[in-house]
Amino acid sequence: MDLSTCDREPIHIPGLIQPHGALLVLQEPGLIIVQVSGNTLEILGHRPKELLRQPLSILLAPQQIAAIQQCLSEDTENVNPLDIAISYRGSLLMFDGNIHRQDALVLLELEPQDQKQRNDYSELHQGVKSTITKIQKSSSLLKMCELVVKEVKKITGFDRIMVYQFDADGAGEVIAEERTEGLTPYLGLRYPASDIPVQAKQLYTLNWLRLIPDSSYTPVALVPERNPVDEEPTDLSFALLRSVSPLHLEYLNNMGVAASMSISLIQDQKLWGLIACHHSRPRHVPSNLRIMCEFIGQVMSLDLSKRVDNQDLSYKLSMKSLQSKLVESLSQSKQIIKGSIQLDESLLELVSATGAIFCTADHSIGVGQTPPASEWPALRDWIKTQMQDNMFQSRSLSRLYPAATSFKAVASGVLALEISQFHQDFVIWFRPEVIETVTWAGNPHKPVEVASNGIVTLSPRKSFQQWKETLQGCALPWKPCELKVVAELRSLIVSKILKQAADLANVNLELERSNIELDSFAYVASHDLKEPLRGIHNYSNFLIEDYAEVLDTAGVDKLATLVRLTQRMEDLINSLLHYSQLGRIELSRQPTDLAELVEQTIEVLRISQPQSSIDFRMSGSMPMVDCDRTQISEVLTNLLTNAIKYNDKAEKWVEIGCAQSGNGDSDGLSGCTFFVRDNGIGIPPQHLERVFQIFKRLHTQDQYGGGTGAGLTIVRKIVHQHGGKIWVESSFGEGSTFFFTLASGEQS
Amino acid sequence: MNQSSLARIHNRSLMLVVEDSNEDFEAFQRYARRSPLRIPIYRCVDGDHALSFLYRTGRYVDPKQAPRPNLILLDLNLPGTDGREVLQKVKRDENLKTIPVVILTTSSNPKDIEACYRWGANSYMVKPMDSDRLKHGVQSLINYWFNTTLLPTDN
Repeated sequence: MDLSTCDREPIHIPGLIQPHGALLVLQEPGLIIVQVSGNTLEILGHRPKELLRQPLSILLAPQQIAAIQQCLSEDTENVNPLDIAISYRGSLLMFDGNIHRQDALVLLELEPQDQKQRNDYSELHQGVKSTITKIQKSSSLLKMCELVVKEVKKITGFDRIMVYQFDADGAGEVIAEERTEGLTPYLGLRYPASDIPVQAKQLYTLNWLRLIPDSSYTPVALVPERNPVDEEPTDLSFALLRSVSPLHLEYLNNMGVAASMSISLIQDQKLWGLIACHHSRPRHVPSNLRIMCEFIGQVMSLDLSKRVDNQDLSYKLSMKSLQSKLVESLSQSKQIIKGSIQLDESLLELVSATGAIFCTADHSIGVGQTPPASEWPALRDWIKTQMQDNMFQSRSLSRLYPAATSFKAVASGVLALEISQFHQDFVIWFRPEVIETVTWAGNPHKPVEVASNGIVTLSPRKSFQQWKETLQGCALPWKPCELKVVAELRSLIVSKILKQAADLANVNLELERSNIELDSFAYVASHDLKEPLRGIHNYSNFLIEDYAEVLDTAGVDKLATLVRLTQRMEDLINSLLHYSQLGRIELSRQPTDLAELVEQTIEVLRISQPQSSIDFRMSGSMPMVDCDRTQISEVLTNLLTNAIKYNDKAEKWVEIGCAQSGNGDSDGLSGCTFFVRDNGIGIPPQHLERVFQIFKRLHTQDQYGGGTGAGLTIVRKIVHQHGGKIWVESSFGEGSTFFFTLASGEQS
Repeated sequence: MNQSSLARIHNRSLMLVVEDSNEDFEAFQRYARRSPLRIPIYRCVDGDHALSFLYRTGRYVDPKQAPRPNLILLDLNLPGTDGREVLQKVKRDENLKTIPVVILTTSSNPKDIEACYRWGANSYMVKPMDSDRLKHGVQSLINYWFNTTLLPTDN
């Protein structure tokens, strides 16, 4: 339980003001007084009932009314305060007038002027000029804060001036302090977020400055309670005299503060902090001094963005170079997982992390100190649910994700980036637990008071003694610049990946074009080569036919050789054409009964080679395979033909089978390794790889029935196209075994 | 149909061979001449000449020089207008489309075979690299188209 009930207190419409000035609520046109503060007699010398429903001219001279009208037609912020004189019983009372519009109303606040204040104005003006120059020249954010508290103390004469900075959770910390000697230092103290309720922060953002000259004041009510224009309590959000929450006054009293002033420090429209001024006795700050303080606050606010940005300048520069390095590697998630790109310390350095993991949908790898790998999947899945704008960060993971308690020592801080939603690529950085001692102003966990009658009431913490808390399960917070660099990392990677995709598309287009060119080249080449070849062939035959009787036997034999060579040349050209076309034909995969395909192939071989008596043996059962039937049939035909061809045994046999667990190669995705084994001539070990080379033959043309030497090259190409592998084992003179796998699409 | 009527039809039959290679044409002619049917052969060396011949334009304006053929033997790869275009023109022409076109080419590319039949080719033969097969092919071609089958009579 904290002071969050304060969050509901309507502090902008208290119906009360502080007593050091008077408030007139006016209605346009004519500036009729419709509501006044109850202290008009004390301040202005007129009772409320004398003023209500009267025009403002009852108090002010026509030229002053004209000045007010003029103000209302301009930006009132720039004209306040106005010098206002009210004649009372022959003498002239001088006021600082602050005027602003609120909804349909005009609010005029009048504070009696200090007789002396006008005199030292120019001196103060000089003072503030030099202060601002110093602010702008200060070397760091902290130096600037230290300077500002000194200057504000000089201007206001308050006991204690502090710069109070809010962290991301809304808790405040005193980062600079200037105090009168003898006071307890507050520097370094923290205040829980509940000390300043949300709507109070909102009002701090709207107004540059608030002043409570005497925290023991008795508030003055507005008369009537609701303004007669809209029958609502008048909104005093912008009123300087607005009475503050009694809880706030009690809070000040608990601290022994009798007068308080605060100046807002605003960065990017957000309340960054406050310059808080405390005084142990009541103290009024005249409006001209307030304007100077306000001005200092504004100058400091303007400088904040620059300061906060500069604070980590060198860090940011090194981040940038790391960032561009990482973009390169992180854009290639597959290569990272395969290990061809190493994740190194630079990933950690980027955000000053001590560990990181890189996850894709089904793989993760880590670098540095990380939670145990067994925890990664669950952690990643949880983080996925926490993503906002592709990022998630916490400095205390175990508070949000209790399972992290076991590894909070290495991973209390976590920062996650989703690189690609589609691929589910994540980088998750870790920071270790830092046992941190935080000095609170009082125990932040005990804002609740129990009254003697047992009723729980909420009031600000009575004790402002230091209360030290050890923060467990917390890492150093992630800095805004670190979050920013990570957010940028993603967009850089995404654009990099998009570019890669575009490049890939271009490469594909190139490849397609060159494939088409190769296709037409192979086609044209084969046609153009064949035509003269056919001429040689035909004319040789014509010679034999027409001139056989005038040639001797040797001449006829030579012509016959010429004819045979042209035929062999044609075979070679055809093989080349066939091979070149294989790569460009889309596989037409279909579920194929391999047993049936083997039998068909054997049948065709028996018919085409009736003279050879071969013992074909099927070993084991053959599975159904998703493959291109025509092409696998060609593989089988080639392997079986070779098995028969290169066999000089009297009893020839060929064994065709399928081994369920990989034989010799276990990383094939299929689990099925097919083999064709023979008792043929075998292959000498030094030639095992050569058999797959195109046009590479191990024997002369007149041995083993000749051939182009393209058969096994074509077989290998088909197997590769099916995503499989092919290899051969052989003992020379005893036989060979060709193994192949067909990697994907298997249906057992 | 008796022998004399056959001879009468044959006397009027002729074929156009579109072939750029002199050697290939000579080989064809050598075996075609051995046919007892003695079909007159006209030759064009490329696609443009073939179209001029068929449409009787240019140097072929005289009908006696360019009689309508009863069969066209067409090579695919020709200088200039190639055989594929000639085939498509003939088969899209109301007057010419009744003339059978036999493709005789080196290409065994399945794409060519498919395309030619799609465009209306009546047969597709690959030039063999074997004299005996060539001899046999030419003889059976002539026998089939001028003896076995009946062709439309000229208008």
